[in-house]
Amino acid sequence: MSVVVVYLLLLKATVTSFAGMGSLPQVRQDFVDTHHLVTADELSEAVLIGRATPGPMGAYVVAVGYQAAGVRGAIAGWLALITPAFLALPLLVTVQRWLHLPRVRSLVDAVVIAGATMLVPAAALLAFDGATQLLRLLR
Amino acid sequence: MNAPLRQLTWVFTRDVTFTFGGGNASMELLRRSLQARGWIDAPTHALLMAVSRLTPGTSILAFCASGGWLLNGWRGTLAAVAGGSLPGSLIIFGLAATLGTLDRYTVVRGLLSFGMLAAAWLVLVSAWALLKPYLTGAGRRRVLIIIAIAASLYLIGWTPVRVLVVSAIAGVLLPTAKRGRVDQPTAPTATMSV
Repeated sequence: MSVVVVYLLLLKATVTSFAGMGSLPQVRQDFVDTHHLVTADELSEAVLIGRATPGPMGAYVVAVGYQAAGVRGAIAGWLALITPAFLALPLLVTVQRWLHLPRVRSLVDAVVIAGATMLVPAAALLAFDGATQLLRLLR
Repeated sequence: MNAPLRQLTWVFTRDVTFTFGGGNASMELLRRSLQARGWIDAPTHALLMAVSRLTPGTSILAFCASGGWLLNGWRGTLAAVAGGSLPGSLIIFGLAATLGTLDRYTVVRGLLSFGMLAAAWLVLVSAWALLKPYLTGAGRRRVLIIIAIAASLYLIGWTPVRVLVVSAIAGVLLPTAKRGRVDQPTAPTATMSV
């Protein structure tokens, strides 16, 4: 499989998700089910490595790229990981330009409030996972 | 703002790479580091959070890209994104190439558990830091309505993006009170690392 195709498949997954692990369903569909580039076990291993490693959760795509196409696949995975981040720049410039308008300010405020609200269950899940793992180790 | 490139790269690398628990915890560490250096204030951090949540892909890297842009233009963007993604990716590559399953290492699982608990605390602190200026300012009723909408939709299983879009629409439609303390920076806080 061409490394360009690996990059495009991973990019398709990262650019259509809005959270680190949000790309996982698309990666599973493309890499495991459709193109058989990695096995389900290899994908689980990649996710596990991603979770056990500090840094962005979505960086597990680097391991997926490596499993699919070796070192060049890992580079493709890294590029697919960072490419969508640059979409933030036109968004930032646009928002900054119109931020003085009350409606735009209200919109941004609402996004911040809703985003912060969703952090609470995310923290609860993290704490639950951490506590569960810790209890399992102590038993 | 023109932050020194070397310092900027180090701060983004350190706060993103050495943090377990994903982007939310890293964003809180970055907030502390950037505010402690006087590079951004609370409203700018809130703007970066909003933009990173609305950008497809990994939110923390969108935060790096936009934060780097504000602090040092294109060079800042490239440095922050590289700093936030390269070291972690290299570690993952190294592990994928050598170790295989990490599950069998008790030490790794133990460290991961503590890392996740610390990250959960950081995420909660981050949520409070973002919400506090809104909750203590004017228009609290409007803020509570948005919180209720976001929490309800999220808890019934809506994706975060849909929740954000509906909340944004609600934010535009709901009548606004006089602008409160949201534009004021919060008090500087001590730096804490995982």
